[in-house]
Amino acid sequence: MRTLQHGLAVAAALAVTAALAGCGDGGSSFDRKTQIGPNPKLPAPHQYLIPPVRIAKVIGWAPGEHPVAPPGMRVQALAGDLQHPRNLTVLPNGDILVVESQGPNLDPVTRPKDLVMGWLQGRATSGGGGKPGPSNRITLLRDTNGDGVLEGRSVLLDHLNSPFGVVFADNYLYVAATDAILRYPFTPGQTRITARPTRLTELPGGPIDHHWTKSLTISPDGKLLYATVGSNSNIVENGIQAEYNRAAVWEVDRASGRSRIFATGLRNPNAPNFYPGTNTLWVVVNERDELGPNLVPDYLTSVRDGGFYGWPYSYYGRHLDPRVRPQRPDLVARAISPDYALSSHVAPLGLTFYTGDNLPAQYRGGAFIGEHGSWDRTQFNGYKVVFVPFANGRPSGMVQDFLTGFLAGGSTHGRPVGVAVDRAGALLVADDVGNMVWRVSRAG
Amino acid sequence: MAKRDRIASDRPRSTAALFGHPIHPMLVPFPIVGFIGALLTDIAYARTANIMWANFSIWLITGGLVMAALAAIAGLTDYFGDTRIRNAPPALPHMLINITVVVIELFNAFVHSRDGWTSVVPTGLILSIIAVALLAVSGWLGGSLVFKYGVGTPR
Repeated sequence: MRTLQHGLAVAAALAVTAALAGCGDGGSSFDRKTQIGPNPKLPAPHQYLIPPVRIAKVIGWAPGEHPVAPPGMRVQALAGDLQHPRNLTVLPNGDILVVESQGPNLDPVTRPKDLVMGWLQGRATSGGGGKPGPSNRITLLRDTNGDGVLEGRSVLLDHLNSPFGVVFADNYLYVAATDAILRYPFTPGQTRITARPTRLTELPGGPIDHHWTKSLTISPDGKLLYATVGSNSNIVENGIQAEYNRAAVWEVDRASGRSRIFATGLRNPNAPNFYPGTNTLWVVVNERDELGPNLVPDYLTSVRDGGFYGWPYSYYGRHLDPRVRPQRPDLVARAISPDYALSSHVAPLGLTFYTGDNLPAQYRGGAFIGEHGSWDRTQFNGYKVVFVPFANGRPSGMVQDFLTGFLAGGSTHGRPVGVAVDRAGALLVADDVGNMVWRVSRAG
Repeated sequence: MAKRDRIASDRPRSTAALFGHPIHPMLVPFPIVGFIGALLTDIAYARTANIMWANFSIWLITGGLVMAALAAIAGLTDYFGDTRIRNAPPALPHMLINITVVVIELFNAFVHSRDGWTSVVPTGLILSIIAVALLAVSGWLGGSLVFKYGVGTPR
């Protein structure tokens, strides 16, 4: 009798497991190249019982290990022992600011699923080299002669509230914490800021604060700041009220702090940058999850004043998301299709246009993009820095791998995030779980 | 135990019992209320698209499943603990239908863990309706086991 009981239980468990696992990924047969460029192939949305999930275990970098750049390039570890470095900016005097940041962890548990997702997210963003220490600070790196070897290093700012964006202009340092843009009086050369900041503009922080990274850039004329504010959910599962003024690019008057919404429908926009010599703002955007391993492609796009880019109601123009009610046909009718798809779930978080002359000429005027890497597909995608060539201020060709070798089988040494160009023209890459800043320059 | 043996009843005896009170009927109200409640909150979500109702649904289903598992352990213990229970005609369909309800609600929990509208409409709502309809049948059969066949009742 016990055996029968046991058998019944096992049979039921097997049947359920088989049925759940029956919904395969289908990612292996899909050509990811068809989702790069202006007209990505978009398969039909597919919702799973258990969505495909695969997160690379973080193993960190052993001494001497480094990611791989194209032939003729040299990869140096500019700095290690950082605490979750996510973003970079280079000051006029050549000093490099590394924003070390961790999320505010304000997502409440509203469903049993949130417990599982919290655990998965913890796996994706922790581990690696170095002891856990104080993050949420800005570290200054000094490489005076531009050889990739530091002459100085100091903590410029400490005890920030999940900072991400940072911009310097006219003896002020603007720091986008997750809940406000802070303005500090600052003179390049300083290695420590003790002055109290002015809260220039409040940004949507908690409650929830699901996509918490607020990126920052400055207009070519220096009068305006642009801040990105990601959505408070994957696809409004926290209610549309939670999305007020989110999934948007904000425009902020630098003098007064007065703000307005510049563009909307951008689920998780990051790394705003003006294309050099133009007034065109570009961002990279993390699109929605759980519609399949090949949906929805993340993208690079120019952003128009007043433009609506679909989220949450639609993607790539008028492709409706079946999960959103009530729908908004009035908004979908004017949804802008983004300029350049980067393929699905690569998680672009860093963008910089290359104007230096250290790297070969083919890179001038193009875009380097830090792809943090996928979690909701069974074949890894991203986990590298890619290059998108530009001509006449528009993307003009296929994505090229630039910095790879982060992945090691089913594990990863690190994950690239923010990218910047140093004074010597080398590309800098923040690696948030490898806890490194990498520097890529022409060899010799 | 010895005392109970002395007053051995001709009625089917509950093996999983506390001081003579069968445990299975103490636990079944939780999944019954959970699954019926989830159907009601599913209907409320389908009518309003207010995500609060969908969140209620998944908690009710999850809680129902946890308590259903405990109820199943007590129920199976009774089923295999006394031949007279197994020989009562409603016992086998009562068990099989309840297992079916749990499997349906397990699928339903995954459907309800999707984000937004399609976590409920249409698949989640349909599964909730089927599960509650089956519950009515198995509940009636469970009632028969007690009120007609006297399972777990004194002499």
